Amino acid sequence: MQPFNRRLFLLFLRSHNHVSKRLLHKQRITNASVQKKRCDIFDKEAKRQAALITNIEKIEVNYQGQPEDCTLIMNKIISTPYNCAQHLTHAILERSVLAEVNGKVWDMHRPLEEDCTLSFLHFRQADPYYVNRAFWRSASIMLGAVLEKAFKEQLYVELCSFPSPNVRTGSFVYDADLKMSDWKPTKEELRTLSGEMVKLSLANLPFERLEVDAKIALDVFADNKYKKAQVPYIAAQSESGNSVMLYRVGTFVDMSRGPLMSHTGHMGKVSIASVHPIEVENGQLLRFQGVALPKGFLLNHFSFGILEKRAEHLNIGRVPSLPVVDNLNVKKQGIISAK
Amino acid sequence: MSAGQINVITQLFKKLIVNGVTDTLSRQTPCVTQVRNMSRVKRRRTVPPFWLSKTTRTLYPENTTPENEAFVSDVIASQYSSPLRSDPWERGHWTEKSHRCGVIARKIGVYPMWKKDGTRLLTTLLQVSDNHVIKYIPPEELANTYFRQKLNRNPNTAGLVVGADSLDPRQVTKEFHSLFSESGILPKKKVTKFLITPDAKLSPGTPLYASHFRPGDYVDIYGVTIDRGFQGVMKRWGFHGMPKTHGVTKSHRHGGNTGGGGEKARVWPGTKMPGHMGRNRRVHKGVKIWRINTHYNVIWVHGPAIPGLTGSYVYLYDSHLPMHKRSPDNPPPFPTFFQDEEDIEDELYDENLHVFSDKSIGFAETK
Repeated sequence: MQPFNRRLFLLFLRSHNHVSKRLLHKQRITNASVQKKRCDIFDKEAKRQAALITNIEKIEVNYQGQPEDCTLIMNKIISTPYNCAQHLTHAILERSVLAEVNGKVWDMHRPLEEDCTLSFLHFRQADPYYVNRAFWRSASIMLGAVLEKAFKEQLYVELCSFPSPNVRTGSFVYDADLKMSDWKPTKEELRTLSGEMVKLSLANLPFERLEVDAKIALDVFADNKYKKAQVPYIAAQSESGNSVMLYRVGTFVDMSRGPLMSHTGHMGKVSIASVHPIEVENGQLLRFQGVALPKGFLLNHFSFGILEKRAEHLNIGRVPSLPVVDNLNVKKQGIISAK
Repeated sequence: MSAGQINVITQLFKKLIVNGVTDTLSRQTPCVTQVRNMSRVKRRRTVPPFWLSKTTRTLYPENTTPENEAFVSDVIASQYSSPLRSDPWERGHWTEKSHRCGVIARKIGVYPMWKKDGTRLLTTLLQVSDNHVIKYIPPEELANTYFRQKLNRNPNTAGLVVGADSLDPRQVTKEFHSLFSESGILPKKKVTKFLITPDAKLSPGTPLYASHFRPGDYVDIYGVTIDRGFQGVMKRWGFHGMPKTHGVTKSHRHGGNTGGGGEKARVWPGTKMPGHMGRNRRVHKGVKIWRINTHYNVIWVHGPAIPGLTGSYVYLYDSHLPMHKRSPDNPPPFPTFFQDEEDIEDELYDENLHVFSDKSIGFAETK
C-alpha cells in the first residue's frame, strides 16, 4: 500500500473549492458583487475609449458668461465643460450644474468634441427648466444607487426603470423589484433611506458618463432581467442606432438619457416619502418616491412637510411596460434659445 | 452641597410645576431638616433643563416667492381653522378629592376696585389668552417620566399639558412642533403641565377660558418675580444702611460688619450680601378672584403683587389651601367650563364687589 501523503490529500480537498464557488455563485447573487462586475466593465470600456485617442488635438471653446467672455483652448474629446470651468472662477465651478454647448444641454463631465460656444447653467438662473429636469433625473439615479446598497445582502434588488422627470408630479421615482411586493416600510425605514441619500450627497461623487455599444450594455446588465430587455430598444432609439448612455456614481452603474447634474453634492434636503406597489405585465414592482431640494435652498420644516405630504401620493408617472421604456422615449434633446 | 441645601431644594421642587414632558431622573430623598440659610439656596436656573426642547429656531431668508408664501399661509389657516373641537372623551364628575387643571394667563395691569362697603382694594388683571389642552398624560406614563419617582405623592396623579398663545409653525423647531401634532393646534409660546386627578382629564385641543373660574374662587398663582439684577443689601435684604452725615465715610448703603470673629473666624456661608435679586419662582397662595370678564377672558385677582412684570405669564390653579377647599354645595365647573356649549354672562362679579353700573348711594324723597 502506498504511504498516505497528507499534503497531497489536503490539496485535493482544497481543489474542490472551484466547484463549491460555482455552486455558491449560482445560488446567491448579491448587489455588491454585481456592482463590482459592472464597474469593472465600465472602467475597462472607459480605458479602451480613452486609448483610442492617439494624438491630442486642440479645440476653441468660446465661453460666454461670468466673469468675462473668453476663448479657451481645450483638448478635443478629452476636456470637459468641468475642465473649462476650472479655468474660470471657483464660484462658477461650484454652482454649475449643466453646460450649454452650441445651444444643447451637455453634461459637465462629458468631453467636448469640436469648436463650440459654452455657457453654464445653475439653479438660480431666470429659467432653470433644464437644470430642474436634470436635478430630478439625477435624484432618481441616486435613489437607484441607494436602493442597490441599502438592503440586506440576501435580498437581491433588481432595478427596473423610472419615468421621464416631471417635477409637477411632486416626487422623483424609481421602480424596483424587491421580490417582496407586500413590503410596507415604517417611518424609521423611510428615514434610513433618506439618510442614505444624504450620505450619497455628502460624498460629492461625480456622475461619469460613457457611451457604449449595445453589446457591452447587455454585458453590464446581464444580471438584471428588466434592464437587459430594455437595452435593445434604447439602443435603437439612440442617434447612432447602437449606443446606450451609461452613468456611473461611485460603484453604481445605470443607463439614462441624461443629462445629469455634475455631482451628487448638488442634492440638498431630500426625503424618501413613500413606497407604492404597482402592477406590471409580469408581476409587481415597488415604486419608491421621494422629494428633494437643491443644496442651498433653505426651507422651514413646515413648508417642506407640505412637499413631503404631496410626495406621499402615488406618482402618476407612467408605469413601466416593455417594450416602451419611459425614460428613453423618442424625443431629441431640447435646443435652448440664446439668452 | 450640604444636606440642608439638598433638603431645601427637594422642598422647593415639590411645589414646582414642571414645564413640558420630563425624562426619567431618579434622586435619593434625604431626610428633611430645617432651612437655615435662604441666601444659600440656588433659586433660579441660568440655563434651561436638558430635557426641554428648543421652542423657536434661527430664521434665515428662504427667498420663497410671494405666491408660495401665501399658499403656505393658506395651508396653515385651513389646517388649524376649526376652533371648536368635539369632545369624545367622557367627562368626569367632581368629587372632594378631585383636582382639575389650571390656566395660563398674562398679567395685563393693576387697578383698583371697590367693595360694597366702600373699601378700596387693588386688583391685578390677568388675561387667559388662547389656552388649549395639548396632551393628557395618564398616571402610568407620568409615574415613569416624573423625575421624582420616590416622591410621596398619590400614584393616581395624572398630567395635563396646557399651552397659551399660538405661534407660526414656521418659526418653531420641528421637535417642538411635533408636541402639538396630537392635538392638531398651532404651536404655543408658553407650555406647562398641571397635575390633576384622572377624572379631570380633557381631550387634546380643548380650549380653556377665564370661565374655568368664578368670582369668589381662591387660586394659587405661580409666577417668576421681576428680575431686579444685581442689587445692594438695602434693597435685597432690607438692611437699614448708615446715616448720610455725621462723619459716615463712603458707607451709606453698605452692609457693615460681616461676622463676629472668635473660634469660627470667617464669614459664614449664607451671609447676606449684595447679589442678584429677583427672577425667582414664587407661588402666591389663596388669592381671591373678584371679577371675571368672559368676553375678553380677563380675571381680576386680589392685590397688586402678582409675581412678574406686566405682560409676563402666570399659572393659575385651584388653591390647595385647606381653608379654600371646595365643598359639595360649591363645586367648580368640572373638568372645565365649556364656553362653546353653554352660555354665560359677559361680566361676573363677586357678591361683595361694587359694580359701577349699580346704584351706590340713594336718597329717599322726604316730604
